[in-house]
Amino acid sequence: MLQTSDRIVVSSMGLISALGTGIAAHTAAFEQRKSGLRHPQHLKTLHASEFLVGEVALSDVAMMQQLGIPSTKKGYSRTSLISMCAIADMLQTTDLAWLQNLPKLGYINANTVGGMSIVENLYMEMITDRIDEETDKWIDTLDCAESTEHVARFFGLNPAMATISTACSSSANSIIVGARMLQHGLVDAVIVGGGDALSRYTLNGFSALKNVDKTPCKSFDQNRNGLNLGEGAGYLLLEKESSAKARGANILAILSGFSNHNDTYHPTAPSPDGSGALRTMAGALERAKLPAQAIHYINAHGTATLNNDHSEGLAIQNLWQGVPPPFSSTKAFTGHTLAAAGAVEAICSIAAMQANTVPPNLNWETPMEELSIRPCTQSEKVDINHVMSNSFGFGGSNVTLIFSRA
Amino acid sequence: MRQPLYIKSAVAISAQESFEREKFLQPLLTSGTGKLFAQDAPYAQYISPVAIRRMSRQMKMTISCAMEALVRAGVATPDAIITGTGRGGVTDMEHFVKDMILLNEGAMNPTAFIQSTYNSASGWIAMQAKCTGYNQTYVHRGCSFELAVQDAQMLAGESELPINLLVGCFDELTEDYYHIRQKRGYWKIPAISSESLYQHEDVAGTIAGEGASFFVLSNQPEEQQNCLRQLKIIYQANAEKITQAIMEVAIEEAIGLDAIDLILLGDNGDPRQQHLYAHLDILFPKTRMERFKHLCGEFDTATGFGTWYADWILHQKQADGKQPKNLLLINHYILGSATVMFITAPETT
Repeated sequence: MLQTSDRIVVSSMGLISALGTGIAAHTAAFEQRKSGLRHPQHLKTLHASEFLVGEVALSDVAMMQQLGIPSTKKGYSRTSLISMCAIADMLQTTDLAWLQNLPKLGYINANTVGGMSIVENLYMEMITDRIDEETDKWIDTLDCAESTEHVARFFGLNPAMATISTACSSSANSIIVGARMLQHGLVDAVIVGGGDALSRYTLNGFSALKNVDKTPCKSFDQNRNGLNLGEGAGYLLLEKESSAKARGANILAILSGFSNHNDTYHPTAPSPDGSGALRTMAGALERAKLPAQAIHYINAHGTATLNNDHSEGLAIQNLWQGVPPPFSSTKAFTGHTLAAAGAVEAICSIAAMQANTVPPNLNWETPMEELSIRPCTQSEKVDINHVMSNSFGFGGSNVTLIFSRA
Repeated sequence: MRQPLYIKSAVAISAQESFEREKFLQPLLTSGTGKLFAQDAPYAQYISPVAIRRMSRQMKMTISCAMEALVRAGVATPDAIITGTGRGGVTDMEHFVKDMILLNEGAMNPTAFIQSTYNSASGWIAMQAKCTGYNQTYVHRGCSFELAVQDAQMLAGESELPINLLVGCFDELTEDYYHIRQKRGYWKIPAISSESLYQHEDVAGTIAGEGASFFVLSNQPEEQQNCLRQLKIIYQANAEKITQAIMEVAIEEAIGLDAIDLILLGDNGDPRQQHLYAHLDILFPKTRMERFKHLCGEFDTATGFGTWYADWILHQKQADGKQPKNLLLINHYILGSATVMFITAPETT
């Protein structure tokens, strides 16, 4: 039965990105204006000296060590390892045994290219007639669901699972689906989020689309020239408020609003008047029963592509009639972590609310001609009771989340 | 999950002539290669000439199937679009990954990259049907379609107003895909003729398939519509869990097992997985059972074809006059998940 009066709360979170593992690493980087972008060291691409990426500093072996996996063990894709590290971080504040024994646990994961980071190096071998166990055991990682199931197995969880792939809004969608599954009583607690590893496939794909900046990205700047790709993972534990309180959980935030709308404009470009983004943000406010003025910080999608920032900027400007709350994009810190971005940024938004501190939008110099509004470029102290986080993806997949102070 | 979804339209593109319902199984189409490729539909009727030139077969199949489902339901713009796919745009993925390797990460065409994105089909359908509503894509192997249906059930339960949900699935078979998964022991080798799938149950493996299925589902009943009432998704399936799911359906629907008058089985002829169906002969000693994977082959979203087939059967006039009313669809996929769906014919036919 659908039950919406009980609020959906966040009782634990964990993440990993180019800034490091855990919330403290992220808030410290925001405070020190220290970007995680660098030339890739783990990703073996011919373009390594050309592109800056938000690469997780740890190698696969280092992640395995951290997770207590013997280095002789095989079959751990970087996608799975990054997701495992984020969940391990989340488990510092959640009892794993409780999750393992929960009869109705959910795990809603997201990624964009499954285990492509490894398959792309083995593909030509896979399509030969040669049988090679070392290569062939990676075949099933072609499926996006592989890392979801691998992560669940690794932590001894037996949850209802789903994997979502809606490009750059994927893990924001996991949060929505997990919350609705709670409201319908399909799960009693649900781990939601997503993880993606850098791959040559996505780097060359975005590069072919000519929207990768070779310098650090300049979100909402007139001279912006595209995005920097990144990798990472973020997971949140969602529960109903009543059950979280009953078990004495520390409630970090309330998921008070969410919205998913399609832009219906173009396969890879948002509506130029910002109508799609505006509809989505307005939808989340409506569900949260909040006026626009109640939002104290917007973590923008802000990829620094010409199209996104134009469209999203206009939408913010129009929705707040030229006077928006402080807003910033954290993409210049982490790179665009694709399927992980929604969850990583939701966590950064909640952390911003807890600390009453707006993360700065780096590299901003010149106002956009078409906008009268400016991103927040300095780490700013503001009382934050409600935060909005946007994730807009290919295929017109727009998602907005609103979190409120517990 | 228990939540009725009324089937306003059902369209399938499969290895059979299913796109035009009246041609279905007239005659049975077969393949002796171990691969059941889908019968092409008149794609150009549904996609603009400019767009169609750059599209992979999978995109054409998916968009045409979805648009035809809207036409048959008399719905121009649905309230939401939800898709499931295990594999996404396989041809486009193969194309882009090979280009990248062969061109040494040189100048590449982004079209294949864009279309290999799992939600590119659902985004395109939204664009063409002008649907600014909810849009979602599930990519969880053998339960991708099931998760899309479950999401539709949730949306149906969340809306007090009548809503139309476009729900569908697609998966594509390619030579590379077949070859690669052969190394994982998916297929019967040597290949058998598809119509004899169930006569080779001593040989491990199955036959490969592909297809797209789309449905317009509503929370409001209209006359003469079949109804998808229940969906149970089973992870790490075994016979006990499937039995338990069937019993739950019966209890929640307040019907006896003997009220089930037709069972559609997703048995794929692989002896390694037949234990999943072991309890059914005991639970349903007298019930009519039919299998369908000799028609469509095995793929991640074969449940979509099974659901279409269920809807087709429930609408068919039976020669013996015994009109089935309560149908169970029981399916499984190679990598461990299983599904139980309860689909019923309208009260008065």
